[in-house]
Parts: sequence; C-alpha cells; structure tokens
Amino acid sequence: MKIALFSDIHANLPALEAFFADVEKRNPDSIYCLGDLVGYNIWPNEVVNEIRKRKIPTIAGNYDFGIGRMSNECGCAYKTDAEKDNGNISISYTNSLMKDDERAYLRTLPAHIKVEFQLNEDKLNLLLVHGSPRKINEYLFEDREEKSMLRIMEQADADIMCFGHTHKPYYRVLNSGIDGQDHFRHAVNIGSVGKPKDNDIRGGYVMLTVDENSSVLSKESISVEFIRFDYDFEKAAKAVEDSPLPNEYAENLRRGY
Amino acid sequence: MELPKDLYYSKEHTWVLVENDIATVGITAYAQNELGEIVYVDLPNVNHHFKQDEVFGSAEAIKTVSDLFMPISGKIIETNEQLLKVPTLVNSNPFDNGWIVKIAIEDLRETENLLSAEQYAQLTNN
Repeated sequence: MKIALFSDIHANLPALEAFFADVEKRNPDSIYCLGDLVGYNIWPNEVVNEIRKRKIPTIAGNYDFGIGRMSNECGCAYKTDAEKDNGNISISYTNSLMKDDERAYLRTLPAHIKVEFQLNEDKLNLLLVHGSPRKINEYLFEDREEKSMLRIMEQADADIMCFGHTHKPYYRVLNSGIDGQDHFRHAVNIGSVGKPKDNDIRGGYVMLTVDENSSVLSKESISVEFIRFDYDFEKAAKAVEDSPLPNEYAENLRRGY
Repeated sequence: MELPKDLYYSKEHTWVLVENDIATVGITAYAQNELGEIVYVDLPNVNHHFKQDEVFGSAEAIKTVSDLFMPISGKIIETNEQLLKVPTLVNSNPFDNGWIVKIAIEDLRETENLLSAEQYAQLTNN
C-alpha cells in the first residue's frame, strides 16, 4: 500500500500542479492532504478546487481553519513585529480573495484522519494531523525531545504519525516499548508543497509504504520516502510581487525559506 | 506587565511565594508571554527533591518547549493537577491558578540568591 501525503500548499498553484504531475507518475494507492491549502499567494480558490475535484481526503490546517471562519487570526507563530505585519496583510488579502463555496469547504474540513491497519493479527495506526494531535498549530520540529514526542504519540494512539506545519521534513523512529518488548513509533514531517523552509526551493511530499509485514515490532517494516520536485517557482514568486502581498514572500520562495 | 511585590523571582523566570517553610512556584507573566499558548506542562513526581536551579519539569508551548528551573531547593509536596486538564491556566493566571508546584523549602537563606520584583522588572525591561 503506497500512500502519498502532501501539505502546506499555501495557495501556490504552480507548485500544486507540479506535485500532481509528479505523484500521478508514481501511481500511489491513495493520496491524503494534511492541510494549509491557502495563504501567502494568490491562488487560494484554485488550490482548493484542484484538490476538491480529485476528491482527495483532506484535513484542516491552521490557515484553513482561520480563513474558513473569516478570522483575522491564522494561528501562525510569527517571531517579530515585521513578520506579524506581513502576516496580517496575507490573511486579510486571502480573506478578500476567498469565494463563499471554497470558504465553506475549508470550514468543514476534518481535524484528523485515522487509518487503522490490521496486519499480522495486530493493529497499526496511522494518524494524520496538521500540527500535532493536540493542537492544529503546534510546531513539532525535529529537535523535539524524545520523551515529549513519544508522549504525544502514545496519548493519540499513533504508531505512524504524519504531520506538516513546520515546512521542514524529517523522519524519526522512536521506541516506546517496555520490558524488552519493542513498540516502534514513526514520526514523519512531510514537508511542504508550496512553501518549503528547508533551504531547498523544490516542493516536497512523502510516499509512505505499508506492506503485509509492517508491524510495530519491526523498525524497518514501513518505508518513508521524501520526494522533491521542480516547479516554476519564479512564476509563483512573480505572482506574489504583482499582488498586494509582501515581497518577502516572493524571496522566501526563491530561497526555500 | 503584572509583577506582584510579595514574591521572589529567579533569572530563569520562575516566581516563588514563601509561606513559612512552604514555597509555591510558577512561571512569570513575562515567561508565559514569551512562550505563547501552553499545551502541556510536564510535572515532577511528588516527594522528588530538587536543588536550586535544577530542571524540575518543562512547559510545552505551540512554538517551543522550555525547561522549568527550580528557584529554591526542596522536596515536591504538591503539583497543580489542574494544569493537566487546562495547561493554559499558566497563560491566563500565571501568578495564581497557574501555579506549578509546592515544595518544602530546605534552606530559606537561598532566597538571598533570588530577585525582588523591582530587580526582575529590570532584568526583563518591564
């Protein structure tokens, strides 16, 4: 079972189109979207409609949650006053672009998707969230302490937890077994299609493979592949510059930050 | 920012209310503001002993995780279990319902190493 997982498109239509071209060649069995369809670029409605017409199961990101409710708060943790000012321009511009039907779609997106496999007379739970199981906008960076990461996954009963939100992909395997009995848990940050922040300007997503031997007892029985694809980032950056959005967002796309 | 005068403060942004030989400890309004919305407080076990400046737990916020440093040596006698259900009490009432632990103070003289409200205000440019 090959499962493609993507998120954090952020209204970047050229990146989304390139993602679909790439993923369709690889012929996954299913595709899930982990949220943040809108914000920071000019195509929020187009991105919603491209995902919607393919009937891809999608969960809400913090930006979708805010725009869905016509809020002026996106749940983003901006560090400086300048970042906050730019963020305010982006959210009010996105609110002004968003059409009613597309906004209603964002408003009713589910928060989580749980997929339970029953293999080897055992269960294997895949949990899809945007930020973390407990908060849509919590940032789970790669350096999160193991104890904290395990607690989050144990409380959510997640054996494989896939999430986005930070735009920085990584994969960690942790063992929460006791008394010598292994129980491997997999934390997968799937990166970002339309606003990568890991200094690589290409879009990114994940192909997760679960097979008949996959089990919490075996560390290497699932596979996680990070896929990067080229797209016309200059088109996306120019669109930002030709809009009321701050030019910094165009530079971010050109630098992968 | 709010800064009660009857408390001691540490450079690591905890506060201490001393009542006889019992201390109540929490984090300051400045600290919770820097951290942002708190989603989980990792509390220590009762009866566990900590030295002054030792890490006794952590606060997990939306943006980051921060260690909590013990402002005065002693044994944990109570933890604020309400925080397990409502961790944002630390944000909304940092000096009151958002307290974190109560400890049996080992040596009251250690309060000399702590800051007054005025000194802490200077430290945080408050």
